[in-house]
Amino acid sequence: MKITFKIWRQEGPNDKGGFQSYEVNDLTEDMSFLEALDHLNEILVLKNKKVVAFEYDCREGICGQCGVFINGRAHGPHDNMTTCQLHMRSFEDGATITVEPWRARSFPIIKDLIVNRSAFDRIIENGAFISAKTGTAPEANAILISKTVSDRAMDAAACIGCGACVATCKNSSAALFTSAKINHLNGLPQGAPEAHQRVLDMTAQMEKEGFGHCSFTGACEVECPEGISIVNIAEMNARFIKAKIFG
Amino acid sequence: MTLFFRKSIIAATGLFLCIFLIVHLSANCILLLPEDMARGMYNSYSTLLRESPLIKIVAYLLYLSIILHVVYALIVTIKNKRAKPVGYKVSNTKENSSWASQNMGLLGVFILIFIVVHLANFWARIKLGLGEEVGTDSVGNKDVYEVTSHLFHNIYYVLFYSLLMFPLGFHLYHGLKSAVKSLGFYHRKSLLIISKVSLIYAVIVSAMFGIIPFIVYFK
Ligand code: FES
Repeated sequence: MKITFKIWRQEGPNDKGGFQSYEVNDLTEDMSFLEALDHLNEILVLKNKKVVAFEYDCREGICGQCGVFINGRAHGPHDNMTTCQLHMRSFEDGATITVEPWRARSFPIIKDLIVNRSAFDRIIENGAFISAKTGTAPEANAILISKTVSDRAMDAAACIGCGACVATCKNSSAALFTSAKINHLNGLPQGAPEAHQRVLDMTAQMEKEGFGHCSFTGACEVECPEGISIVNIAEMNARFIKAKIFG
Repeated sequence: MTLFFRKSIIAATGLFLCIFLIVHLSANCILLLPEDMARGMYNSYSTLLRESPLIKIVAYLLYLSIILHVVYALIVTIKNKRAKPVGYKVSNTKENSSWASQNMGLLGVFILIFIVVHLANFWARIKLGLGEEVGTDSVGNKDVYEVTSHLFHNIYYVLFYSLLMFPLGFHLYHGLKSAVKSLGFYHRKSLLIISKVSLIYAVIVSAMFGIIPFIVYFK
């Protein structure tokens, strides 16, 4: 199939950047989107041109590295999917595909389609850990957890930190990410010792990083590859009030 | 987290204004009665409101709510814009979120314009005594009915009052269901119900407010 890629090219963080169009003629529908970009890069290499910088790691939807904005949506036209899981059959032959990096003040562009998401790491560092006994591994059934509680925690823990929530949010809010990390730990008995401090510290860091306010447009939960619900954000707000009163 | 604080102010004042709208609408419904009945009831009701000390407190709360709602919305909008200084060349938000949710600020501006005109039409004349003096009815109450009826016999005002109920409806629909979440209400099943209630509330309130001027016009 024939595709015209319109890709954001930017040499470095301080470069102005701009769109460039590339026509690729010999793609197949079975190629994944990243394979199509690989193919484009091979062509560019042979022409002695600079390749398009984009990020990936697992290519199976679990690492969260491959975030780019495709045709006006985070990770492309489908709901709840990573870019690496997207295939060219989702596009029409002869289509033009616009590819942009995540846009947010807190995610500065490193090069082309790669952004720096370490703001997320710093939010994690500020409380997304638990206190655990050292020494031999504890008996697995020592702490009993009900199915509902563990399911809830697992749903939140599924967050892969891809940044689609921030990218798609018109306010660049990191509320979905932060709430997932908080609710994952605060919902479990293991997270109880630092529960209140965790909420206060992580939300404070989220704010310090310059993310915007959540206005519940709901775009994040649609673009989240893991389908994390925005109800998590409401729950984080409740935990925040609780932490302010009892913390 | 001032992010949370700012949004809670907007949410709490917004919810208060939602309740106020119900009270306001119930008064408007008097206008649907036959003229001789409506005039007396409408005027005595508005006199009651003007003179009750309890309503006075509520009125100040109302002014405060509107001001806080607008000021904080402005601050939040500016900060949000700063958090996303560069937008996308292609943006397909309609595929992942409602139009209302993406345009609350714009909708709010329309509503604010409405409120300013509305206050100039009624509040300034009746409460502040600015502009043309308001007469009294047969029992000596300020004839607010006359002010309303006169205004709503001008088709331009009728259109203005009715058309601006569309942005109000959209704003209420997204605002009501989001406010509870901003304030930390997270019971999943109830949230689904609240979402439906928001829709029903927004449609009824905006449609009623919008239709009444026409009914008065054709009365
Ligand atoms: S490359 Fe790992 S999620 Fe896409």
